[in-house]
Amino acid sequence: MPSDRIVERRRVFQQYKADVKERGKPFYPFAMFHDTVMSLVVVAVITGLAIVWKYSTPGDHIGTDPGWLGKLYDDPADPGTINFVPRPDWYFYFLFYLLRIFKWPNSVIIGTIGLPTVLLVLLLLVPFIDIRSERRLLRRPVAIVASVLVVVSMGVLTYKGATAKESLGSELVAKVPGWAKAANFTANKQAVGGAHLFAVSGCLNCHTYQGTGGGFAGAPNLTAEGAKNKGVQFQIDHLKCPACVNPGSPMPSFAGLGEANLKKLASFLEASKGTK
Amino acid sequence: MATRRMTRSEQLQQTIMYPVDWLEERSGLVGGLRYFLFRKVPGDINWFQTLGSATLTAFIVQALTGVILAMYYKPDPNSAYDSIQHITNDVFAGWLVRGMHRWGASVFIILMFMHMGRVFLFGAYKYPRELNWIIGVLLLASGLGEGFTGYLLPWDQTAYWATVVGININGTAPFLGPFLAQFLQGGTYINADTLSRFYAIHMLMIPGAIAALIGLHLYLVIRLGVTSPPWSKEAAGTGPLNGASPNGRATRTGLSRFRRGR
Ligand code: HEC
Ligand code: HEM
Repeated sequence: MPSDRIVERRRVFQQYKADVKERGKPFYPFAMFHDTVMSLVVVAVITGLAIVWKYSTPGDHIGTDPGWLGKLYDDPADPGTINFVPRPDWYFYFLFYLLRIFKWPNSVIIGTIGLPTVLLVLLLLVPFIDIRSERRLLRRPVAIVASVLVVVSMGVLTYKGATAKESLGSELVAKVPGWAKAANFTANKQAVGGAHLFAVSGCLNCHTYQGTGGGFAGAPNLTAEGAKNKGVQFQIDHLKCPACVNPGSPMPSFAGLGEANLKKLASFLEASKGTK
Repeated sequence: MATRRMTRSEQLQQTIMYPVDWLEERSGLVGGLRYFLFRKVPGDINWFQTLGSATLTAFIVQALTGVILAMYYKPDPNSAYDSIQHITNDVFAGWLVRGMHRWGASVFIILMFMHMGRVFLFGAYKYPRELNWIIGVLLLASGLGEGFTGYLLPWDQTAYWATVVGININGTAPFLGPFLAQFLQGGTYINADTLSRFYAIHMLMIPGAIAALIGLHLYLVIRLGVTSPPWSKEAAGTGPLNGASPNGRATRTGLSRFRRGR
């Protein structure tokens, strides 16, 4: 026997179908007219944005100067830059800002994967959490509170993300001077540059360095890598093809960084002789 | 055999209808279209309920402009940036197509959120439309995935570094994270494979998924009908108005019929 609730909602839906049949109106032309007007507005807005983007760009409307809607394109990608502030498209700002609230190394997982996953699952479950058939807003106080909370917090996070001066990689980059001081290579420009690269290149997803980082897949702690005195050339070879040097290594190749950058990284690694 | 000669207008009508009838006889598509166009919707639906089809329009704009961009774009680190410059500065109306694709993406995402908001406020995710809400959430996630993968393609500084951060975010997930990060990167540090991988995901995998999901979504919309605004006095589902239908006939539909059946 279906429960009363199930019987009731089936009844309401049958009633809905009967009512629509009885006093509904045909999709064409009524609803279709509204839909068409709205679609034309959408296309017009998109076209308008494209035109403003182009024609508000200073000068002869080409190049990398920002117009009202930002740059047409930025400078070409350079994996070697170490002081670029990465910024995603605006609808990821909230996520981006979560990363500043939950910091490396302990709670970053909460901010990046944990919270968004929980939110996504909650969103999927909405129809199964709210199973009453009441649809009038004023009689759904929980729904009102929840939607206000979500809108306000997304708004605040997006605003904060938009106005934040620096970002995730910088969470780690900010640690570079501290690392250099503790390992005593502040004066070694090559090594400091290498430390920047190390911070932004994802090495810390696997490795640990002076207490920061992942500790994944048996990746060694590199705090005192330089104390092994393997030499700059070994480090470069290893970064280019880890498995060639240490057979079976799951570490990916970083040959794509280019010779100059690899040299910096290697000097950094060799300069890391542990903290005093 | 005395067959009446057809009048001119009958002849004309038959000529015009011939291809339509031909198609209908072999596919039933004409009947389907007729059902789609002339199906009844609640009489009190309003402008908020155009947000879904507005989202669809934005998606179609993305698909069309995307195809044109794909004719000029080169997904390889040595030429991606130049091809974007070429599209923006040299190709006829290239700036317009690229601009529409670029800003259409934001409009698409905004519209998806607004549409979701209206569905939420109308309580339109409730029985029997739960499944359509779930499909909607998957569409939202896929739409954001399009935004993430498309952002890298210009291969400029903004694109590159945002993607480094994005991939590192994936990399922080426990256990699977580093593998996922490596999959996105195409094995190593962000490189040529990353770009072609993002390109394939961006222009084949996710759009295909979105198109299929939209198909399912609309199938359910047509099958289940759209809800009346919840505040409406004459909302479909509340039963006959004062016991009588608008045209004065007493109704035996819905409530009364159900009661009798029980
Ligand atoms: C996917 C995880 C992963 C990433 C990302 C990674 N490594 Fe490794 N790394 C490892 C593993 C596992 C080992 C141990 C096997 C080996 O020595 O190759 C290792 C070893 C090393 C060693 C020790 C080599 C030796 O024999 O002394 C160094 C130095 C090193 N990695 C540097 C780096 C640098 C620099 C980066 C970033 C540019 C990086 N790693 C990124 C997993 C990783
Ligand atoms: C690509 C994105 C999407 C497209 C093209 C789309 C399209 C549509 C269309 C055309 C309708 C008909 C009614 C209306 O226009 O409001 C509709 C209804 C609906 N949509 Fe979407 N939608 C999308 C995303 C979403 C999302 C993100 C959600 C929620 C998570 C969602 C949930 C629903 C539900 C539950 C209905 C039924 C509403 C009712 O019966 O009143 N959709 N959608």
